[in-house]
Amino acid sequence: MTWGSALFWISGAMALAGAAMAVGLRNIFHNILGFALALVGVAGLFLTLGSDFLAVVLILVYVGALAIAMVYAVMLSYPLDTKPEPRSVWKVFGSAALAILVAAALYRVVLGPGRFASFAGPQETSAAWVGRRLLTDYVLAFELISVLLVVAMIGAVMVARKARMPKRAPTPAPKLIG
Amino acid sequence: MMPLPAYLTVSVALFCIGLYGLVQRRSLIAMLIALELMLAAASLNVVAITTLSAGAPGVAVTRQIGAGHASSVGQVVALILIGVAAAEAAIALSLFVAIQRYANTINVEDLSELKG
Repeated sequence: MTWGSALFWISGAMALAGAAMAVGLRNIFHNILGFALALVGVAGLFLTLGSDFLAVVLILVYVGALAIAMVYAVMLSYPLDTKPEPRSVWKVFGSAALAILVAAALYRVVLGPGRFASFAGPQETSAAWVGRRLLTDYVLAFELISVLLVVAMIGAVMVARKARMPKRAPTPAPKLIG
Repeated sequence: MMPLPAYLTVSVALFCIGLYGLVQRRSLIAMLIALELMLAAASLNVVAITTLSAGAPGVAVTRQIGAGHASSVGQVVALILIGVAAAEAAIALSLFVAIQRYANTINVEDLSELKG
């Protein structure tokens, strides 16, 4: 077994185990830790594909996002030591059935006979090529992404801020009835 | 280097775990995490296909650009995906804060005001 395939197996196992943790566990904090594990696994898979720059970016961006998400999770969720209410059985079975159905369909479409019959060997790519493409062929997408990020940032501030100070304050916010 | 189907299998599994979580969980934050898992699976798929397959039916981009640099296109797509995911997470989290302030919960089963 070569180093490449060893890294593939380790990263793939990390990605799937982390995803299972992120979805299966009850505690939101454990979910976030599992999500981090899954993303490290995906970054490892990117490394085995020779896209080292992408792996580094994935970890950088998501570690920043993850730190914030953890703060939010602790702030917004129920106290971590309270017992969560039990999951409804039919919902678990229904979602599992849906996921398995979609998995079967995807498997058939993507990996069915005749698809991707000829596999090329690994190709050399470097971060230099990615940068060249981003600034020549895909410069519009590059600029649009930066505009989108600015808009999202300002929008996020506005959305979170407006609710804090309602214009007609005296009446308390209405409670939702489930 | 592993063959392409191995990567596609991991990607399909990751996507469907995310789908399961998105449908089954009740906390908005958990649903956002599941959605991010699905996005990661999609970008893994794009990078794996552009790196490892040449001349597959339906992947015209490889032949057009020439082997060797097709993979960089996949990486550019994945980078843009990461950027969109970051913007989406920022908006979603600020919405969760607003919802929490308004309704005092982020459990989707309690947020049925628009149900009619």
